[in-house]
Amino acid sequence: MACQLTGYRSGTMALVSADTKIAELLTELHQLIKQTQEERSRSEHNLLNIQKTHERMQTENKTSPYYRTKLRGLYTTAKADAEAECSILRHALDKIADIKSLLEERRIAAKMAGVYSDSDPPRKTMRRGVLMTLLQQSAMTLPLWIGKPGDSPPPLCGAIPANSDYVAKQGDKVAARVKAVDGDEQWILAEVVSYNHSTNKYEVDDIDEEGKERHTLSRRRIIPLPQWKANPETDPEALFSKDQLVLALYPQTTCFYRALIHTPPHRPQDDYSVLFEDTSYADGYSPPLNVAQRYVVACKENKKK
Amino acid sequence: MAEPANQASTQPRLQLAPSGGPAASVPGASDPARPGLSQQQWASQKKAQVRAFPRAKKLEKLGVFSACKANDSCKCNGWKNPHPPTAARMELQQQAASLTEPCRSCSHALADHVSHLENVSEDEMNRLLGMVVDVENLFMSVHKEEDTDTKQVYFYLFKLLRKCILQMGKPLVEGSLGSPPFEKPNIEQGVLNFVQYKFSHLAPKERQTMFELSKMFLLCLNYWKLETPSQYRQRVQKDDSSAYKVDYTRWLCYCHVPQSNDSLPRYETTQVFGRSLLKSIFTVTRRQLLEKFRVEKDKLPPEKRTLILTHFPKFLSMLEEEIYGENSPIWDADFTMPASEGAQMGHQTVLSPMAVSGSPSFAKSVSSGGSSLGSMGLDAAVTEPITGEKRKLPEALTLEDAKRIRVMGDIPMELVNEVMMTITDPAAMLGPETSLLSANAARDETARLEEKRGIIEFHVIGNSLSQKSNKKILMWLVGLQNVFSHQLPRMPKEYITRLVFDPKHKTLALIKDGRVIGGICFRMFPTQGFTEIVFCAVTSNEQVKGYGTHLMNHLKEYHIKHSILYFLTYADEYAIGYFKKQGFSKDIKVPKSRYLGYIKDYEGATLMECELNPRIPYTELSHIIKRQKEIIKKLIERKQSQIRKVYPGLTCFKEGVRQIPVESIPGIRETGWKPSAKEKSKEMKDPDLLYNILKNLLAQIKVRLCTMVNMILYKIYFTHPDAWPFMEPVKKSEAPDYYEIIRFPIDLKTMTERLKNRYYVTKKLFIADLQRIITNCREYNPPDSEYCKCANTLEKFFYFKLKEGGLIDK
Repeated sequence: MACQLTGYRSGTMALVSADTKIAELLTELHQLIKQTQEERSRSEHNLLNIQKTHERMQTENKTSPYYRTKLRGLYTTAKADAEAECSILRHALDKIADIKSLLEERRIAAKMAGVYSDSDPPRKTMRRGVLMTLLQQSAMTLPLWIGKPGDSPPPLCGAIPANSDYVAKQGDKVAARVKAVDGDEQWILAEVVSYNHSTNKYEVDDIDEEGKERHTLSRRRIIPLPQWKANPETDPEALFSKDQLVLALYPQTTCFYRALIHTPPHRPQDDYSVLFEDTSYADGYSPPLNVAQRYVVACKENKKK
Repeated sequence: MAEPANQASTQPRLQLAPSGGPAASVPGASDPARPGLSQQQWASQKKAQVRAFPRAKKLEKLGVFSACKANDSCKCNGWKNPHPPTAARMELQQQAASLTEPCRSCSHALADHVSHLENVSEDEMNRLLGMVVDVENLFMSVHKEEDTDTKQVYFYLFKLLRKCILQMGKPLVEGSLGSPPFEKPNIEQGVLNFVQYKFSHLAPKERQTMFELSKMFLLCLNYWKLETPSQYRQRVQKDDSSAYKVDYTRWLCYCHVPQSNDSLPRYETTQVFGRSLLKSIFTVTRRQLLEKFRVEKDKLPPEKRTLILTHFPKFLSMLEEEIYGENSPIWDADFTMPASEGAQMGHQTVLSPMAVSGSPSFAKSVSSGGSSLGSMGLDAAVTEPITGEKRKLPEALTLEDAKRIRVMGDIPMELVNEVMMTITDPAAMLGPETSLLSANAARDETARLEEKRGIIEFHVIGNSLSQKSNKKILMWLVGLQNVFSHQLPRMPKEYITRLVFDPKHKTLALIKDGRVIGGICFRMFPTQGFTEIVFCAVTSNEQVKGYGTHLMNHLKEYHIKHSILYFLTYADEYAIGYFKKQGFSKDIKVPKSRYLGYIKDYEGATLMECELNPRIPYTELSHIIKRQKEIIKKLIERKQSQIRKVYPGLTCFKEGVRQIPVESIPGIRETGWKPSAKEKSKEMKDPDLLYNILKNLLAQIKVRLCTMVNMILYKIYFTHPDAWPFMEPVKKSEAPDYYEIIRFPIDLKTMTERLKNRYYVTKKLFIADLQRIITNCREYNPPDSEYCKCANTLEKFFYFKLKEGGLIDK
């Protein structure tokens, strides 16, 4: 009892400090966005200059060394400007990531302490429709991975699996293979509670019945969900390709089912279009349904049950 | 809703100037709100003229309509001038005929015809002269009128008035017409009820507008010329034209002719006729009215113009629904305004639904128009209609009356508007729509928004054998068949196909991106007064979005429009939950004889029923309730900021108590709240008496328990001396999981505290807590445990004692 009380207190304190921290970060983010705009207007002039120089060169129809030197100088400046703007933007993205992780920490702390806010009520009292909207929102706000030129997408970006020694953190969402009451195996959407390094087992909560259904599962029954979206325009290799077998979250449920990729996303905000295995259809597959990158993972077993 | 202008030419000519007299010569009235007024003026002018005649001329005029009294054998019934005037209106120029002038037909002197008038007062003479003018007018009308029905009535009235002049009597329309009022409530009442019913939630200014429109409509109706029975027959082509003919005749005799013919008693159309006449004439009258206003819009004063052109068409359409709708409440003899009339101010006003209602119709259904609103909201009485005294609309309701009634015991509209402003704060609309994701959002909130934005659509469709269905409908029907057969795998596909394409079945289809994603297939049995829900499904990847709820709400509204107020369905085990959420119950109120043999019987399924309330706008219901909650919350916050004394909040609900009497809430009496008469009578015992009885009872139970524990539970008692079952709250150290299993723990010590705190203001609360001790024990412990045995004995003892104390009946 006493232990629980301290837990509660530290939880509350964590909430308070997280709040102020988030407020600070938001102010910084605001500053960064303003800076970006300043940077843009500053480099505007130079870009205009480049354009004008090109126009002049065209009317004069010759490339004199003067222009060559001038252009080189202008482009060097433009590149530096672009890099500066880029670094501010990256910085801003980092801030957003910080805020998100703080929010997540706060959520976990609140959950542990049993303190719920209006915006994040206990799952038990949440209507399924609300849970579904939350899941959709979490898929929508999954950050897009933006690498530096030459960087290849890291593990857990899009279709790229986690390293074999990767251990999912507390609060991470995973696909978990559980035995249902009737003995059937099912991949469900779950949240990691803890990982026991000595037994190599995860403790996960069913996202649907938080707190009620806790499962202890070995590592191979857990597939961490992607933590970044892959950008189809820059990193198409980090996406599942057409006809690849995957596990995808069936829309409006919390279960993953086997499916074939129908079309991969074309733009960063697009979903996969997948065909679920479904015997109730003549060809054995459902019509194409949309599933967000967040909820599509590689299917390990290749043969049908 | 405005009538297209090009239709106007096909409509019968608008007849504003009544043709009841020789009024054709009078220029038509220019104010459409007062048509026919000049006709009346014309008649009264004429009468004034005649009444100003010298006595001799009056006698001559009356002699024309007076029987000859020279001798018994003379049958002459009116003096005829031997020198007839050459022009019809020469009376002024001509000298009065002398009393000795002989009659053209019977040759007796004028004096013989008017002998009975010798001693008659000037007033009576004038009255008779008025009738003479009217008779003359009617005579003209009979000749001019082309419609046979109308002509007949004019002729009848003509004869009637003549007879009255002869006998110096008072005209009285006799026969099978009956006497006014012909129907109750009358049209005026109905229309005013309509304004109350539909617009009382509006801001005062808009309400005033609607009220003015209704007044104008009523005024127009009073001066409107009805279509003749033959026109009606042509238009309606139904057999009920005889009823219309009766109404038409009544209208001519009591309303229309008397307008220009004041010898006849006059009644206003809207006061003596009711819904049935309005039903017969509304369609045509509406068209004519709107057309009339359209044509004459330039003559209207500008402020009236906008009022009429923008609001009137909508007003009339809404009224039309109430006139033709089967279940419109506005025609109820005891239509009660939703406004509350509570005498108490203060706390209870916060709960008065009228003031905060997004829809007065709903508020009414909840409050049942009761006056004892104080018990609402917090008390058990919410579910049972409160039958307080109802306030009827006064006979002639003026706007001032309406305002006064609204305000009595209610929150001033200004305050409500102010609060409305705060909850519809425009700032709250900015930013991403996170409100959608709120855990408290109503189940159908998303669906409703999607419909508003055009993302989803609802259509009632069906197959038809008589006419070629359009291709889109057929595609949707196929889509529905696919959705049903995928979602209801236990139904044979052929069976689904047969019913979906059966022309007697209809389906409410849910369409998204042009594709069917769900639907409810139903069959209406209008003669049996119910509809069978046959299939109901939403495609799996679109589920839990509130579509099912929104579908059912649309279906409910569709049925209210079609006056079927019961749904019946055989629900399988998976569907029972859904139907329960949609207001269905296993309690069937429709008599078996009405559905047996009509509804498809499914084995192993449960018959469920849903009764619709025509006053509830179902698709908006959750939204309305949400708004009401918000407003009440704000009102409570306001009230709280005014009140000094702060009581700690109630905790009993957290402890699992479902309901408590309002009077047990600390501080409630200080707000001016008083229990209603009904509540008082329900609890016959006075609180102190009850307190003592319960105190005594609790003591006895404790004593009994001690001996019982000694006898039955001695083993437990000795091994666990701390465990004094039922006496004190269960300790977590004794039963670590107790509080996870038992949600609402209770024990005798807690009960004693509650008693001391005067929590048990009704015996019901006390008995509920006692019973919970037993049920908790049975839930936590295995049935054959010593604890349960103890509980069994204790339960018997409880009830024995309760009976003994007269607290329960059996």
